[in-house]
Amino acid sequence: MKTKIFAVLLAAGALCAVRPVLAHHAFAAEYDSDKPLELKGTLTKMEWVNPHGWLYIETKQPDGSTKKWTIETSGPAQMSRRGLKKTDFVDGMPLQVKGYQGIKDQAHANGRTLVLADGRSFYIGSVGGPNDGADK
Amino acid sequence: MKHFRSLSAAAAVALFAASLVAACSTPAAENPRPAEPAFRPVASIREVMNSVIDPSVDEVWNSVGSTVDEKGLTDRAPTQDEHWAEVRRHALIVSEAANLLLMHNRPVAPPGAASLAPGVELTPEEIRVLIDKNPEGWDFYVQQFQDSLKPALDAIDKKDSQALFDAGEKIDETCENCHQTFWYPKAVNSSR
Repeated sequence: MKTKIFAVLLAAGALCAVRPVLAHHAFAAEYDSDKPLELKGTLTKMEWVNPHGWLYIETKQPDGSTKKWTIETSGPAQMSRRGLKKTDFVDGMPLQVKGYQGIKDQAHANGRTLVLADGRSFYIGSVGGPNDGADK
Repeated sequence: MKHFRSLSAAAAVALFAASLVAACSTPAAENPRPAEPAFRPVASIREVMNSVIDPSVDEVWNSVGSTVDEKGLTDRAPTQDEHWAEVRRHALIVSEAANLLLMHNRPVAPPGAASLAPGVELTPEEIRVLIDKNPEGWDFYVQQFQDSLKPALDAIDKKDSQALFDAGEKIDETCENCHQTFWYPKAVNSSR
């Protein structure tokens, strides 16, 4: 019974992230490297998980409404090596993300650079992605 | 004459012995080593990936991690023996499923299937050509992927959630190595 509960929790853990794409794909199959974007918003959720993390942020639209974004990041080990820690994230914190627009889901993006409120900047792009110098 | 008779008798004995040896060896020739069992693939590589490997490797990856939300920072990891057993089951599924990919007569995708991302990811026919051109490379990457599960299995057996989390990166790296070689080599850059 407990095993079944854990199995459900495992599945729930996978589902609650509401990841737009579950399968493995090439960057260009999911993101448009001709559509760079810069988002300023607040964090509503962060998933520190393999094979890559997820940031959920809300941005304010010109009409005053909010838009929810799902942003894919590199794996947690890669982000850790660049000095970013899971404890750097707090619900509701302001942050800035540069990245690329998703092809199928307009509220989905691949993050390249993350700037925290204290000014620290981190490369959060996956291995690969456009050679835009973000990883330098 | 006597000498000739002796020689004839010796030849007869030798002939008899040879026929005995031949008779004894005949059954072996008629019953060669049992042939390898004929593998009969049912699913394509794409289906094995989507139905067997992907769902289970996601369970391995998702079994350890952290979430930040309105409740703060929450770490998750298996805690009970049955939790670890569940994760181990998925790690074994992935490890053994790698062997399914080593069956070279397995089709790449179901008949008539197209590229999942035309222009970026190869068609099944193009992937087939690459695999057939480099079967050793295919086997190497598949076994590299299979090997990447060993640290995860070790971590599970030791109930070491940090080691299991750390093992996740290598698993992804071996996925990507194979995908970049056989699935989307034209896409210089990829998301994972």
